[in-house]
Amino acid sequence: MFRIDHYLGKETVQNILVMRFSNGIFEPIWNRQYVDHVQITVAETIGVEERAGYYEQAGAMRDIVQNHLLQLLALVSMEPPAAFDDKAVRDEKVKVMRALRQIAGEDLSTNATRGQYTSGFIEGAPVPGYREENGVAPDSRTETYVALKLWVDNWRWEGTPFYLRTGKRLPKQSTEIAIQFRVAPHQLFSREALGGLEPNALVLRIQPDEGISLRFGAKVPVQGIRIRAVNMDFDYGASFMVDAPDAYETLILDALRGDATLFTRHDEVDQQWAFVDPIIKGWADAPGGPAPYAAGTWGPGEADELIERDGRKWRKA
Amino acid sequence: MAQGIVIDTMFWGARAEGVAALERELARLRRVQSAHARELVRPIARASVLNLIVYADREEHARRAARSISELALRHPSRAIVVLADRGSREGVERRIEMHCQLPIADGARQVSYEQVLVRAKGDVDDRLASAVIPLLVPDLPVFLWWTGTPPLGSRSFGDLLRLTDRLIVDSADFARPEITLPTIARISEDARGRFGLTDLNWTRLTPWREIATSFFDVPSWRLFLEGITGLRVGFAVDMDGRDIHPSQALLLVGWLASHLGWRPLETLAPSEAGGLLFAIARPDGARIMVRVRPRFERGLDEGDISGIRIQATAGPQQAEFVVKRQPSPRHQTATVVLDGEKRWERTMPLPSPAIVELIGEELSILGSDRTYEAALGALVELA
Repeated sequence: MFRIDHYLGKETVQNILVMRFSNGIFEPIWNRQYVDHVQITVAETIGVEERAGYYEQAGAMRDIVQNHLLQLLALVSMEPPAAFDDKAVRDEKVKVMRALRQIAGEDLSTNATRGQYTSGFIEGAPVPGYREENGVAPDSRTETYVALKLWVDNWRWEGTPFYLRTGKRLPKQSTEIAIQFRVAPHQLFSREALGGLEPNALVLRIQPDEGISLRFGAKVPVQGIRIRAVNMDFDYGASFMVDAPDAYETLILDALRGDATLFTRHDEVDQQWAFVDPIIKGWADAPGGPAPYAAGTWGPGEADELIERDGRKWRKA
Repeated sequence: MAQGIVIDTMFWGARAEGVAALERELARLRRVQSAHARELVRPIARASVLNLIVYADREEHARRAARSISELALRHPSRAIVVLADRGSREGVERRIEMHCQLPIADGARQVSYEQVLVRAKGDVDDRLASAVIPLLVPDLPVFLWWTGTPPLGSRSFGDLLRLTDRLIVDSADFARPEITLPTIARISEDARGRFGLTDLNWTRLTPWREIATSFFDVPSWRLFLEGITGLRVGFAVDMDGRDIHPSQALLLVGWLASHLGWRPLETLAPSEAGGLLFAIARPDGARIMVRVRPRFERGLDEGDISGIRIQATAGPQQAEFVVKRQPSPRHQTATVVLDGEKRWERTMPLPSPAIVELIGEELSILGSDRTYEAALGALVELA
C-alpha cells in the first residue's frame, strides 16, 4: 500500500534529505550544540473554501499538523539513514517520531495553542470569518490555527525546541523550515555596531519561491563597523531554469515503479497519531475554544506568548 | 467617475493579479534575466539586503522615490515596495489594490538586479492596505518605511505599516505644518522606543550646521560662552513670494541646542513677521534667551534650508557673536567669531548639499534610532 502525503513529493522537501546528507558541512552543526531552535511554518492565505464539511471535523491539527508538519519535522530532525531506500529512510523517521515528547495534561496550555480566524483582509480584499463560512457551524470550535512547542527527546536534540505553526487566512502563503543557530559565543563588536545583527539562520523554503537561504551578519559598507543581517540565496527556479515537477506526478511515478521511500509507512502514521491524539483530546475536554485571530494576521496573541515566553520570536516569514 | 492615475507599465512593470501571480512574474523575469546573462557570460546576482516600503500619495513622488531606489540599488539592493495611494480617485471608486512588478538593473552596473513592486491603492483602503504589503516582504530582512509627506498619526494603515517596520524615515522638509507635525513625530518616536528606529532626512541635512556650531566651542577660551548665550537667530530659506514656509530644519536646530544646553521654555512658540517665530527660552541659570527663527529669500537654496545662524553670548564682561553664513556662495559656509565688536576668527569651508538619494542612502545603512534627534524633538515639543 502506498500512502500519499503529497508534501513528500515536493522537490524542496526531498531536497531536505539531499542537503543534509549529500553535503559534508551541514550535518556536523545539525544538533543541540549549534542549533538554538527550529521553526517550521505552514502558512496558508486561503480559508476553508469548499471543504467546510471535511474541515469542521478535521481542523488544522488533523489537516496539516498530523501529516505535513510532522513529516517536515521528521525529515529535519532524523538521524542519517544508512541508505536512501524505503526501509532505511522510514526506519529513521519512525525512530525520531518515537522520540517526540507527548504534550498532555498540564503541558497542553504552555506547549500548544489553537486559533480560529475571524473576518479580516487578505491581500487587500475583505474575507469572512471562519464561523461565517458556508457549511460551518456558527458556534464552531474547530481550530484553523495551531502553534506547538515540541521536544525531540534524544541525544541529538536534547534542549533544542522545535516550534511548529500552521494556519489558514494568514498574511502570506509560505511553507518553510528555519534552523536558527546559536549566537556567537563572544561578541567583539560594540552594541551599536551589532544593532542590525540577527542570529544565523538556514531557511529551507518549500513554497513559494523554492530555495534555501542562509542569513549571516555582514559589514555595512560605511566607515566604521555596522553589522547587518543579510541573506545568501539559492533560488531553485533561477538556478535550474525549470519548474519543479508536480508533487503528485512524482509520487505516482514512484508508486508505479514500486519505490515506497516517499510514502508514509503504517508505523509512522501510528506514531503521528499517538502524538496528536492526546492534544486533540485535551482540547476537546478543555473549557474554552480556539482563540480568535483576524484574517490577515499571524495568528492569535497566545501563539506569540508561546514562543516569546522562551525569549524567542516567530520569524517574519 | 473620478479620473485616476494612469500607470506607466514601462516604468512600473506589468500588472499582476495578486501576490502569487506577482511572485511568479518576478520568478519568470529572474529566469529570463539569468538566461540572457548566461549567454553573455555575465551572471546577474539577485540581491536584496532590505525591504523598503515607500508610501506616496502622488505619482510623481512615487516615481522620484523609485528613481532614488534605483540609484541606491548597488549600495542597498532591496525589495522595494512603492505604495501609491491614489487619492484622486477616492470618491465613488471601487476600493481595490493593484500590483505591478519590475526587475530593474541597478544604475551604473549590469550585474545586480533588484525587485520593484508597485502597490496602487484606489479609494479608501486604509483598513486593508497593510494586508497587501505584508505578503510582499522578503522574509528575514529588515523593513524600512519611507513615508513621503506628513505621517497621518491616527490612520490605521500607517499604524499597521509601522508595526512591520524596523526604521521609519520621514522628511520634515515636506511637512505642511511643522509646528504641529514635529510634535506628532516626537510622539511617534516615544512610541517607537525599542520597537523601531526613527529618522528625519531634514535632521541629516543639519549635520554640517551642527558640526560647525559645535566646533566654535571646542576652543577652550570660547567654551565659557556656551553657558552665557543670550540670543539665537536662525534663518531659513523661503521662495521669492514668501509663501512656502518650512521652518522645520531651523526648529530642529533650536531643539538640538535646547536639549543639549538644558534650556527650558519661557514663552511658547509664537509667530512673528512674515512666517517667522519669536520666543524666549530660559537657560538653566534662569536667564532669558531671545530666539528668532526668520524666513529669508536667498537664491539657490531649497525652501526650508538653513541660511545662517547667529549666537550671541556673554562670559564675564566679554561679549561674543558666533556667526555662520552661507558665503561666498550657497555651497559654502563662513564661520566668524566676533569678540567685543572685533572679528577674531574666520573660516570658510564647503557646505555639502546632499541630494535626497544620498540622504536616504545614509539612513538605510543605520538600523537603530538616533538618540540626539529624539532629544532635539523632545525639547521642541516642550517649546511648542
